[in-house]
Amino acid sequence: MIDIKNISLSYDKIIVLEDISLKFEEKSFIGIIGKNGVGKSTLLKSILGLLKPTKGNIFIDDEDIYKTSKNVLAKKISFMPQTIQFDFSFSVKDFVMFGRYPYINMFKLPTKQDFQIVDDIMDFTQIKQLKNKNINELSGGEKQKVLLAQTLVQQTDIICLDEATSHLDIGNQATIFKLLKMLNEKYNKTIITTIHDLNLAGEFCSDIVLLDNKKVLNFGSTEKVLNYKDIEKVYNITILIHTNPVSKKPVVIPIYN
Amino acid sequence: MKLLFKFILLLIVLVIIFIISMLSGISDISIIEMFKSLFFSSDENTYTIINQIRLPRVILAIVAGAGLACSGCVFQGVLRNPLADPFTLGISGGAAFGASIGFAFGITKLSWVFLPLLGFCGALLSVGFVYIINSKKEFDSNSMILSGVVASYIFSSAVMLVFSISSSDKLYSAFMWLMGNLSFFDDRLLYVVTIFVIICVIILCCLGNVINIISLGNEKSNSLGVNTSRTVKYLFLLSSLITACIVSCCGVISFVGLMIPHITRKFVGNNNRILMPFSAITGSIFLLICDTISRTVIAPIEIPIGVITSIIGGFFFVFLLLKKAGKISI
Repeated sequence: MIDIKNISLSYDKIIVLEDISLKFEEKSFIGIIGKNGVGKSTLLKSILGLLKPTKGNIFIDDEDIYKTSKNVLAKKISFMPQTIQFDFSFSVKDFVMFGRYPYINMFKLPTKQDFQIVDDIMDFTQIKQLKNKNINELSGGEKQKVLLAQTLVQQTDIICLDEATSHLDIGNQATIFKLLKMLNEKYNKTIITTIHDLNLAGEFCSDIVLLDNKKVLNFGSTEKVLNYKDIEKVYNITILIHTNPVSKKPVVIPIYN
Repeated sequence: MKLLFKFILLLIVLVIIFIISMLSGISDISIIEMFKSLFFSSDENTYTIINQIRLPRVILAIVAGAGLACSGCVFQGVLRNPLADPFTLGISGGAAFGASIGFAFGITKLSWVFLPLLGFCGALLSVGFVYIINSKKEFDSNSMILSGVVASYIFSSAVMLVFSISSSDKLYSAFMWLMGNLSFFDDRLLYVVTIFVIICVIILCCLGNVINIISLGNEKSNSLGVNTSRTVKYLFLLSSLITACIVSCCGVISFVGLMIPHITRKFVGNNNRILMPFSAITGSIFLLICDTISRTVIAPIEIPIGVITSIIGGFFFVFLLLKKAGKISI
């Protein structure tokens, strides 16, 4: 369980988040939504311990993450950034292995078990055929799958993603989110992702955090948060909320005139 | 296994080049005489040439090559910039400044210890400059490179200033030093530098894992449990110390730190755990070849080794770029 207690965070004295309290249950699939620049990534990075709030604490399983050692934390919670800049291209299998770092540490070599885990995860994310390729030769969708694989070999219960699919086509978006859903449902992982695409959020997330003006405007089940009143207010656009005829999940349709 | 084979092959090449280098010079010494002199005893003349003149110099070339190449790898990986090298961060500028003060004011003539000492202090001065600026910025790669470039500019204009107010006869030896030269060093320094650099290189070679992780960027490496800014700080200090030591001994040898890692990348890829030891050996081989050329081609005149490294390395690198045009990664 992740317990965020009254955190405030500011960059250079400009307040980004103010007095935010949230509780994420285990095995939930959380989407963090809100306007550009509202602090979605900031909130996510605070949960990961990458940013330190000016006030408040965050607890994972009742342990203060800012008092937990980084190595221990890295075995509990992992992070998939939007992209990684590859100035030097690594081979896919090396790159995925980097995710085992919390277990291998500075001096050790990967063991048989590490290789086995990397192999299994590459199977799971369907990138086995790319194993010997260089990262720079891959397409955007393949890169994200490799990045996901790297995050998964960390074998953490909580997985955080920062706009992991926002530059992908809808097919690849679906692939990544289906994998996340399977991780969530079959492997009991807690997933927290910032996301712009409200329809993806509506389809896959169990709960949604709607951030607005430094605060949490709404937090709860997808159906509860994706109501036209809040969404119209936050995004300043007229919308219709429909239901996906197949999955019965909410669909947000913007009205442009 | 393939890698191990490559590594052993590289070591064999190093040994061969070592023997060739030991044998080349003005006086003709046979290979048997050389080994006799190295491992047993021989007549005084051969002993002087082999054990006292050539051997220290060859060892210095091997150590300096390994040290520069290794710190080059570290800087490129940690700063995530293919153009970073030990000198991007202003270390050579600082060393050049210290040494040129020594030459210009005649301090170097007082005792052998002053030239390396001043070079080392100058290098530390610029390392300190970069360190202090960046300690508040959590060792962000962009700001490190920028402050290093700034330090380089400041110190190189300081060198020009010192040169402009000193007399021309002092300028010549200062110039030779600035272009890199393995004939200035003193034997007494050799042991200290050799042991220190070798230990540091071994440490760095073992740190390939963490350099890989840091090259993924701050956020990713922190989320993998690495204290990135602290690790970058120590890696930076360690590699800077290696470079400062080498520079204070042999002057500014450009190119090795920048290009050797890139040349090695073409053969073993970018995984730093593998790249580091390979780069170290490649650097040794390369610098040893360059030094042998520099002292034999137009003997007894010596060409500054920095000139040779740049020419050979530059052409070799262009050749590699053209050959593997499809797979260029810089």
